[in-house]
Amino acid sequence: MNEVTVGGMRFELDLSQPLYEQVLDQVRSSIAKGEIALGEKIPSVREMAQALKINPNTVMRAYQELERDQLTETRRGQGTFITADAEKVKHIRYKLAEEAVEEFLAKLGSLGFTASEIAAILRSKGGEGQ
Amino acid sequence: MTKAAIQGSGLVKRYGRRNALDGLDIEIPENSVTAVLGPNGAGKSTFMRMLTGLVTPDQGTLRVLGEAPSWKLNGRISYLPDRARWYEGHTVAEAIRWGSNLLPGFDAAQALQLVEQLGLKADMDVKGMSKGQEARLMLAMCLARDVPLLVLDEPFSGIDMISRERIVAALIDSFSDRRQTVLICTHEIPETESLFDHAVFLNDGTVALSGDVEELRATRGSVQDIYRQLYV
Repeated sequence: MNEVTVGGMRFELDLSQPLYEQVLDQVRSSIAKGEIALGEKIPSVREMAQALKINPNTVMRAYQELERDQLTETRRGQGTFITADAEKVKHIRYKLAEEAVEEFLAKLGSLGFTASEIAAILRSKGGEGQ
Repeated sequence: MTKAAIQGSGLVKRYGRRNALDGLDIEIPENSVTAVLGPNGAGKSTFMRMLTGLVTPDQGTLRVLGEAPSWKLNGRISYLPDRARWYEGHTVAEAIRWGSNLLPGFDAAQALQLVEQLGLKADMDVKGMSKGQEARLMLAMCLARDVPLLVLDEPFSGIDMISRERIVAALIDSFSDRRQTVLICTHEIPETESLFDHAVFLNDGTVALSGDVEELRATRGSVQDIYRQLYV
């Protein structure tokens, strides 16, 4: 599927993977990147389903998960909003960073690199720290 | 497992020497959007027609919304048959009036809104319509009914791209507004698979595979991929 922008958030869905997880991940990363600001309203389930051309149940499932993680809150009669709590967003940024690093380390580990070799590669690619 | 809106077991339908349905065991979850898929001759239309009693099984049992198919039950089913043409000689407005008088659960105001959303006008003559326009009218008539079961047999076949996109948008709105079990039989898999909760793949009158579409994606890939795995 082509890239679609909805309410400032960018989505690109792959029909060979569960759609609910992709919507969830992509909203999370939009929040982490600041594509959507703290306290901002997100599209309704119907608007999101129409824009992505997917079943509203799939959007609903992703939205419920966001709410459970307290990344969004629904105000009755007004819609669903991104949390205004900067700590929660910071938390999700670190969580996404950890996931990316774990994936990266697993990949290099499978290629047989040791921790010090990996650190050397990072430095050579412009990482400043030790 | 959620409750089943449709439950068939051991369904057999013979046409001459051929079994269109050959011991079909099938369950359609309540309030799901379920795709019934498979190549021509797999038994899709025979099964769909059975739901409204247009075809009776030679063997097996079928429960639809907890009952055996009957005229009375058909009042709770909104059915878009394959290759149907209902409104020749009508205008759009007359078709909607006809619906108000004859179709249980029909909401004329919603029908008018739907035909406009689908790019039609109340004063259009059905006779002069293109195939795509007529298909959009038929769909509007089906979606305007507040009934527990919606059955769409090939709503997209032979219809232009813009009409298809409008139909998909109308379906998404309908799914947002209403808790309803929806059954769609289609060959247009790439364009429609993102709409399905559940899929049933038929082959030679039996179920080759069925399941929750998101689970199938996680284990086997897209509906289109699975279709190729099963039928090529």
